[in-house]
Amino acid sequence: MSPNRIEEERRFGSTVGGKALALIGKIVATAVMTLFALMAIYPIVWLLINSFKSNADYQLDKIGLPPQWHPDNYKGAWEIGDFSKLLPNSIFYTTVGTLGVVLLTTCAGFAFAKLSHRLKGAMYGSFVIGILLSLSSLMIPLFLQLSQLDLSIGNILASCGILSDPKSFHFFYNTRIGVILVYVGSGLPLGIYLTTEYIKGIPTSLIEAARIDGARYSRIFASIILPMCVPIITTVAIITLPGIWNEFALINIIVGKLELQSLPLGILRFSGSRSTDYGKQFAALVLGLLPMLVFYIAFRKQITKGVSGGAVKG
Amino acid sequence: MASALSSTRKEDQRAYWLFSLPAFILYLFVFAFPIVLSAIISLSNYKGGQMFGGEAWRLAGFRQYGILFHDTAFWQALNNNMYIVLVSIFGQLPLGFLFAYLIYRKIVRFGDFWQGVLYVPAIISVIVLGIMWKFIFAPNGLLADLFNNSYSRTLVGVLEAALKGGHALSDDGIRKILSAMDPGVIGLLGPDPVAGFKSQLLPAGGVVIADPASFIHAMSNYAPKWSPDFMTKQNTAMIPVMFVTLWCWTGMYLILFHANMQKIESEVIEAARIDGATELQVARFIVLPALSGVIINAAILCISGSMNTFALIWAMTGGGPMNVTEVLSIYMYRTATMGVNYPLANAIAMVIIVISFALIGLTKLAEKRWGGKE
Repeated sequence: MSPNRIEEERRFGSTVGGKALALIGKIVATAVMTLFALMAIYPIVWLLINSFKSNADYQLDKIGLPPQWHPDNYKGAWEIGDFSKLLPNSIFYTTVGTLGVVLLTTCAGFAFAKLSHRLKGAMYGSFVIGILLSLSSLMIPLFLQLSQLDLSIGNILASCGILSDPKSFHFFYNTRIGVILVYVGSGLPLGIYLTTEYIKGIPTSLIEAARIDGARYSRIFASIILPMCVPIITTVAIITLPGIWNEFALINIIVGKLELQSLPLGILRFSGSRSTDYGKQFAALVLGLLPMLVFYIAFRKQITKGVSGGAVKG
Repeated sequence: MASALSSTRKEDQRAYWLFSLPAFILYLFVFAFPIVLSAIISLSNYKGGQMFGGEAWRLAGFRQYGILFHDTAFWQALNNNMYIVLVSIFGQLPLGFLFAYLIYRKIVRFGDFWQGVLYVPAIISVIVLGIMWKFIFAPNGLLADLFNNSYSRTLVGVLEAALKGGHALSDDGIRKILSAMDPGVIGLLGPDPVAGFKSQLLPAGGVVIADPASFIHAMSNYAPKWSPDFMTKQNTAMIPVMFVTLWCWTGMYLILFHANMQKIESEVIEAARIDGATELQVARFIVLPALSGVIINAAILCISGSMNTFALIWAMTGGGPMNVTEVLSIYMYRTATMGVNYPLANAIAMVIIVISFALIGLTKLAEKRWGGKE
């Protein structure tokens, strides 16, 4: 047997048995993959199907298709669940929060990557440590801080005679501003890390040339850095957006008023108050997951890139 | 010249503060101040109410930590956090790696599709998913129906087979039917189940079944009934929580690992394959070492996520039954909102942060000790 032939055989599997083994491996692998994919998607499809059942039909049969489709479950869920309030709130928090994160992180990233200052190392380092902190472990002190700040400011205003009841003053706690501040703040560490590392890759000579031509830093930021940062801004926005949309632990404790609640809060409240109203309950859940599902289907490529690029903690 | 230089320096400094200060102030406001505040309150006797200028409160030492470490609820919550950490590191990561490898090596086709499907749970609100799984695991939920339907289908199948030749049931056929029935019902049939079956369950005609269809319909009620009680039993309530945790985020690690596998030079793997290396050897000796840094980072992500997990369990079990599924953050929330014990709640916050960083430190140490294959 020639050496060539031996190599051929090694490459393509010399025996029929080897080929069969490889084929069996592929079949098993595909079966496992199919099983897990079904497990990932079936509960959601099941939810969608059952959101069209009446209560009686659900209790009779939890697996099959509804004998009669009840799209009115959605109308009921929408009205009882106050979705007309929740949805605009969620959209507001998510868009303003994401814009805030992107704006602040790009600015700070520029400073940490291209400007020099003796405090730079310490400041940037503190953000990098912050990547490992999660604000949900700080929800109680955060709640105390925001509510006490309001109380203190209220007291000062009352003693100046501007306000009659110091407890009625709300700027941070139970306000949209408070929610936005917390959400933007929580997105900063990872966002700043990603943008700083990205901007470090932009040639400094571009900035120096512009400086020699007499451009101010604000001008350099707007006309050189910002246009070149579009990819990283997209990544940061793509990771931040679902995080804010789905956030629960913090808004749960810093917002009490119904008028300020976001979708996750409203859905949990709905679920608690009508746990046996199955059809509407499921319709509310579908309404809750649909926006992110659409977002995912529309931006899957970018989200996949963002997830693999954003998970660089450590 | 010198004055021009110093004016640029001044402008540099001004620009630095202009660009970095807004983010830094907000960062101090939502991260640094709460940590400091939390540390102070955890050492105090603050009872709520107005913090500044209100009812006096003072530092009271490490008393709260002593109370905490003697509280069984704390150890239970910490234990549950460790379960979540373990299922993340030894469940999500290996599964994510396996799937990423299968897709990367094209062992399964349509890799992009599988990756897209497996990530879906990770993009949806855990509140929605938690409530959904609560309905699936409920004693009369989807899981119960799936099992009980298949039990009754099996029984109907056995009945049809037993009645196939004519309409008379043989003892052998009855034994087969009994084996597909609810053990609880069989227990009621007396010491000899076959005789009991004949005397108690057969219609008027004895072993000769006149109307098989209605007999089968009546008998199908005796199929085994299972009612999933994980969520209501204290020693099993964590199982669904751990399962859903695994279910939710495996897709994220799949994406992470797959993206980094694509950075490996494919010639290395092709050459190894030509030299006779099996897929297992390629995975073990080429891909795994190349990804060791990413795996460590993923483990750190797992730890930080698991130590702070709140919403999923809150929606699924609310920490119940009897607080057995409580994790530290839920225990902290309960202490602050129901017990209104702010010093203790803040002590818990401090413990969460310290443990997270300790575990991350351990992971880094493990990397130094056993990693470094890059």
